[in-house]
Amino acid sequence: MDITRSGWFRAARDLFGSMLPLSIRDIEEEIAERLARIPTKTNEYGYDPHGLHVASVRRAMLPSALLYRYYFRVESFGIEGVPPDRVLLIANHAGQLPFDAAMLAAAMLLEAEPPRVARGMGEYWIPQLPWVSVVAARTGALVGTPENCVAMLEAGECVMVFPEGVRGINKPFSKRYELQRFGLGFMRLALETRTPIVPVAIVGSEEQQPGLANLPRLGKVFGMPAFPITLTFPWLGPLGILPLPVKYRIHFGKPLRFDGDPSEEDADIERRVEVVTRAIADLLERGRHDRSGIFT
Amino acid sequence: MEKVLITGISGAQGRLLARRLAAKCAVLGADRHPWPMHPPGVEVHPVDLRKKRFENLLRTERPDAVVHLGFIRHFRTDPGVRHDVNVLGTKQLLDHCTRYGVERLVVVSSGYVYGAFPENPYYMDEDRPLSASRSYPEIRDLVEVDALASAFIWRHPEIRTSVLRPVNVLGPTVHSMIAEYLRLSRVPTMMGFNPMMQFIHEDDLTEAIARTLEDRLRGVFNVVGSGAVPLHTAIRETGGRKLSLPEPLFRPLFDRLFGLGLWPYPAGALDFLKYPVTLSGRRFREACDVRPEYGLEEIFSSFRR
Repeated sequence: MDITRSGWFRAARDLFGSMLPLSIRDIEEEIAERLARIPTKTNEYGYDPHGLHVASVRRAMLPSALLYRYYFRVESFGIEGVPPDRVLLIANHAGQLPFDAAMLAAAMLLEAEPPRVARGMGEYWIPQLPWVSVVAARTGALVGTPENCVAMLEAGECVMVFPEGVRGINKPFSKRYELQRFGLGFMRLALETRTPIVPVAIVGSEEQQPGLANLPRLGKVFGMPAFPITLTFPWLGPLGILPLPVKYRIHFGKPLRFDGDPSEEDADIERRVEVVTRAIADLLERGRHDRSGIFT
Repeated sequence: MEKVLITGISGAQGRLLARRLAAKCAVLGADRHPWPMHPPGVEVHPVDLRKKRFENLLRTERPDAVVHLGFIRHFRTDPGVRHDVNVLGTKQLLDHCTRYGVERLVVVSSGYVYGAFPENPYYMDEDRPLSASRSYPEIRDLVEVDALASAFIWRHPEIRTSVLRPVNVLGPTVHSMIAEYLRLSRVPTMMGFNPMMQFIHEDDLTEAIARTLEDRLRGVFNVVGSGAVPLHTAIRETGGRKLSLPEPLFRPLFDRLFGLGLWPYPAGALDFLKYPVTLSGRRFREACDVRPEYGLEEIFSSFRR
């Protein structure tokens, strides 16, 4: 039985809803209004062919938007340069938990014109996680296979890729803002589908959860690719996964367009990936130089 | 008048197809089970695909076309018999087709042959490897059948052969695996998983098979219906009540129940309740202008518990 359909649940939700501070209801309305402007290909049950569910996106976006506005106080720069059609957002990845992906997606919904649902390309183990797999699918994320990525780009979607993957997100604090080795897959897909690449530098996420060490072997026991030791985790238990209230600044670079044969050798692909890495590194450096502080 | 032989004619899909084809062709069928009250103009021969009498049927009747539906897809029979009927039966049928001048052949495989895995992309095409045996060894015979038939397309270009891989089939009469699952009094699901699933109505599959035959198609084709919904939506829309169990409990429990004959599916089938297995119907759509007539709502409302 679906609890969200019961009368008690609805009554409680309405009561709770009427008590919410005005700003939260404003944000809810804003999310609904911006989502309504995005054309989606949903069927009679509200699902798109890849499992995205608009009502679920709306629900999931509320906590994201609250974090975006009030916790990380995100500022975004240059988002108006993101092409309105198919596009790959390539960003740095850090902070132990993917708040950076959530904030980038929130920026694309709340700040981009027209608003976009950014599609995440997840690790292969995400579908194996109970609940996480469902939330990921309903909010538009897919397993990051080349086929899925090509299908999204050909459908004109905005796709987020973090080519550092686990290497980036679970790196120790001492390596903050040092870009880890980039995977090459995204460049081959960009060439194949002739998709512009927007380099994105996320400043702030790298300080949100200072990693002291990583114990991947222990992670394996829990079916996870990493087991980070941070200032607060695992010492504070589940509370320890909360990030510090750093201030996020997301810098969008100018779109880069690449030509060439997607089946070229790694060395030739690497050369083009290097251009993207360089662009992100420059944005990161400028972003760090210009900011007033880590928390302000 | 053209003559079509249907193996497994007494099954629900066989009956639908026989009725659909009977208007234009002479239909004869082979099945170990009888079809009482079969329509006039359809001949049903009670023969076993593995036996000499089946070969005699082809030798004397000389059908122009064959539709192969005679598989055991459930797990209620002995695995050895199941393997024999499916693999040996198909092998014999393919041999007979080359020997007795069959012009066209349609083998109805299934979309399950790709297997359910976390790394499955959405909407897999026909070139995807058939990996089901890796996690679901109990259907390796059906994977083998598909491979035999697919190889036959190239080995015998003189026979126009098609292999169809339909998604989950639902309707008022079929006893597909998914239909039996959805008919359970409490439908067990894995807690925290809700994969997208595609469905096709039994009439739409019948039409797809008939058109494959009539349009003389050649090749391997996924056959899809009108779309996909999460598993839980399908359970709700077909009037079921789900019973959500955590995976560490689900697997050993149903493995044990299967061993005792109290649960119809082996452990490997459970991955289909966990990971999405969705197929691209593009190749079939481009080869043939047949489109599904039933939308998702109509498919679910036509289903009887």
